Amino acid sequence: MKTILNKLGNNRGFSPVAISLWIAALAGLALFPQFVDNPYALHVMILFFLSTIMGESWNILGGYTGQYSVGHAAYFGVGAYTTMMLMQYRQIPPWLGMWAGVAVVMVVALVIGSICFRLRGPYFVLASIAVAEIMRLCAVNLKDLTNGAEGILATEIPPFKIGATVVTDFLSKVPFYYIGLSFAVLTIVATMLVQHSKLGYYFQAIREDQDAAHALGISLSFHKNVALLLSAGFTSLAGSFYAIYVGFIDPPTVLALDISVQIVLICIIGGIGTIYGPVVGSLVLVPLSEALRSNLIAQGIFKLGLASEESGVGVFLKENLAHAHALIYGILVVVVILFMPDGVLGFARKLFTARNRGNA
Amino acid sequence: MGAILEIKHVSKFFGGLAANSDVSFELAEGMIMGLIGPNGAGKTTLFNCITGYYPPSRGEVIFKGRKMNGLEPNKVCKLGMARTWQKVRPLAKMSVLDNVMVGALCRTNSLKVARDIALEQLKVVRLDRKADFLAGGLPIGERKKLEVARVLATRPQLLLLDEVMGGLNPAESEEIIQLILDIKKHGITQMVIEHDMKAIMRISDRIVVLNSGEKLAEGSPEEIVANQAVVEAYLGSEH
Ligand SMILES: Nc1ncnc2c1ncn2[C@@H]1O[C@H](COP(=O)(O)OP(=O)(O)OP(=O)(O)O)[C@@H](O)[C@H]1O
Ligand SMILES: [Mg+2]
Repeated sequence: MKTILNKLGNNRGFSPVAISLWIAALAGLALFPQFVDNPYALHVMILFFLSTIMGESWNILGGYTGQYSVGHAAYFGVGAYTTMMLMQYRQIPPWLGMWAGVAVVMVVALVIGSICFRLRGPYFVLASIAVAEIMRLCAVNLKDLTNGAEGILATEIPPFKIGATVVTDFLSKVPFYYIGLSFAVLTIVATMLVQHSKLGYYFQAIREDQDAAHALGISLSFHKNVALLLSAGFTSLAGSFYAIYVGFIDPPTVLALDISVQIVLICIIGGIGTIYGPVVGSLVLVPLSEALRSNLIAQGIFKLGLASEESGVGVFLKENLAHAHALIYGILVVVVILFMPDGVLGFARKLFTARNRGNA
Repeated sequence: MGAILEIKHVSKFFGGLAANSDVSFELAEGMIMGLIGPNGAGKTTLFNCITGYYPPSRGEVIFKGRKMNGLEPNKVCKLGMARTWQKVRPLAKMSVLDNVMVGALCRTNSLKVARDIALEQLKVVRLDRKADFLAGGLPIGERKKLEVARVLATRPQLLLLDEVMGGLNPAESEEIIQLILDIKKHGITQMVIEHDMKAIMRISDRIVVLNSGEKLAEGSPEEIVANQAVVEAYLGSEH
């Protein structure tokens, strides 16, 4: 037990404070649906879990290994499609189908890896975008397989039974909440295990300097592919989860460049190559995107009296702020890159250590 | 003692430029071979060809009786040949200790064992007090030491050092010289590129001189100092 805890913690072992925080957070999150039954609150939490899973997954390849893939929509989408196709056309329940999705995605990832890992830096980024676009075009055009641009609608999710007892019929958001929570915890724990293993040291060495790593006995192709397989496999779980939760997928919602960019943003904003960076990124991005969607920002400006709802400016804001996703994300990214190169988490750490030093 | 490394007619072309042309020599086990020559003579290029950073255009490299051509650098390292970089390559955002651990992990899967090896190597180069510092923040002298500690941690039989004294002050250089002599005592064969003639004469058992990609001379330090061609081509250009 102690060795497991040591592995989970930092180099000096898992501190009692960290263990307590973990237990408190897990207990709080596990009990949350018992006290809150507002569907919208549950929905936002599920989006937060989904975002965390996506971010942690990308982080293994992009954050730890330094291979900035902007094509993770490929793995998200292929996972989503495999699960949905198996459920709709072959009556295979999603909790089995999603593992088939992981297997399919890993095969796809190996092919993509063998193409893209020959390239470095910006060329790798471009290749990853191109390959994801190819997957999207396949989904649009292979109509017999994927139902093309019309997408796939989940007509009914079979209830999950153990023996004869129905564990859940997936009618409320609660089962999705717990599935999301479990997967989020799974990806975080996986990331911790990676960071504190030989694999993690090798990933980071490759990120810092490929040639130096190579000369120190590290096989670049092997370790990049392992990082990709882990990263793609977890991303695929996120895709399957999304598909079943929303109940509908089509190429623009699961295979578009938007998704790939979104995944990278979660990490850039939170902090690349850290265990909790994607969690922090999700804490920033999910509420922001929800606020934009429900026009909360315009409402807030009216409430604060910065502009009146009837004035020309007010009408303009009300009409446009909800659709200004891209612009606001863009501004956010620029601000983060300029002022917090290590993400919000890195920035907070710096503030914290600076304050501590000030006190000492 | 047999040759641990044989370099046979190695040439390397960059476009029309012959950075190495038809270079041949052998390294006996346990010795220190000095590799000298003016700037641009092709010393680093030869290291790159030997360690698989890129393959030689012609000729072969034989390490412990095994042909190395086309072998990737990681395999070369596993076989027991390790190199440092003239332009140091610290893993900047990792700690000094982690840098050396990455080297040590070449021979073990256990982080704990690797940490012990790394701490021991850091003591050897007297960098143990900086173990928890970020490698990217070290001054140049310590970065050079880190390079050495990191390759030593891979437990090499043949060590290729590319200007590890470049940019160091005399005290630091002297430390490195002692380190190189210590490494020799452990039976590790070394090939050392260095511009500091006094240092190279002191440590080398044999010296190879490169000039414009070609081997100009080979011999003991005394023979090299007395060689007229070397004095003209190399020493002459500096004095
Ligand atoms: N990748 C490359 N592409 C093209 N030319 C190269 C390359 N690497 C080295 N050269 C050229 O090959 C020649 C030999 O360079 P090399 O770095 O081997 O010299 P060196 O003996 O190590 O010099 P120094 O003492 O300055 O380190 C130089 O003219 C250099 O410009
Ligand atoms: Mg050189």
